[in-house]
Amino acid sequence: MAFEASLEMTEGGIAKVTLVGELDGSNAADFRTTVEEAASKNCKRLVLMLGGLDYIASAGIRVLVFARQKMGGGVEIFAISPTPQVNETIEMTGMHYSLRVLPEYDAAVVETF
Amino acid sequence: METLTVPGHLDSLSIIGAYIMDAARNAGLDTRPAYRLRLAVDEIATNVITHGYEEAGKEGSVYLTASSDSAALTIILEDTADPYDPTTRAQPDSLDLPLEERPIGGLGIFLTIRNVDTFAYERRGDRNRYTFVMNLPAS
Repeated sequence: MAFEASLEMTEGGIAKVTLVGELDGSNAADFRTTVEEAASKNCKRLVLMLGGLDYIASAGIRVLVFARQKMGGGVEIFAISPTPQVNETIEMTGMHYSLRVLPEYDAAVVETF
Repeated sequence: METLTVPGHLDSLSIIGAYIMDAARNAGLDTRPAYRLRLAVDEIATNVITHGYEEAGKEGSVYLTASSDSAALTIILEDTADPYDPTTRAQPDSLDLPLEERPIGGLGIFLTIRNVDTFAYERRGDRNRYTFVMNLPAS
């Protein structure tokens, strides 16, 4: 299945990136471009909507590492609704120490600064 | 299953993934181990294509063969790139460190080894051969 990353900026300075499909070495650069675009808009938070992401390889995990480094320490990164398999890879690679994983979008958490 | 031969390009990764998921389904593997096997094979295929072929300026194919019996599903991946034994590479030992303090290299190989029951490498003639085994639950 193809992969798509789309960016939506909210008025409150939240960059919401929705990932759909299979994220592997053939398309991780697309995700990286989207992260760079979000970073260029000086977002306060990066929210990754993962409910439609069926697969993530290490190439995708590396973009998460890149996002964490690119955004700087003041920008919290959320990973929302990962599938059990994607979440397992996030935990296996230790990414859950750097991202905040939530089972579903919770405005009270994500949009409260 | 019949051997799958695909060009050594990153566009082939989705075909490889579909082949592994088909093999897993045919062997009766559950969703979770099927996903883990697909991830393990995908990581090696990505390494072979990126480092073995593209960065080395070589053209070549990736060959996949799935076979199973009552005990296990075995995937064999072969390529004609230069010899490369990932099992000799150091594993990341710093996954509990914050990202900013952690080296990134070797993540794909780490995921391969962690996600299958057995992973092996051997050089056979002009080919690298990577073997992935997932044990099947006793029925």
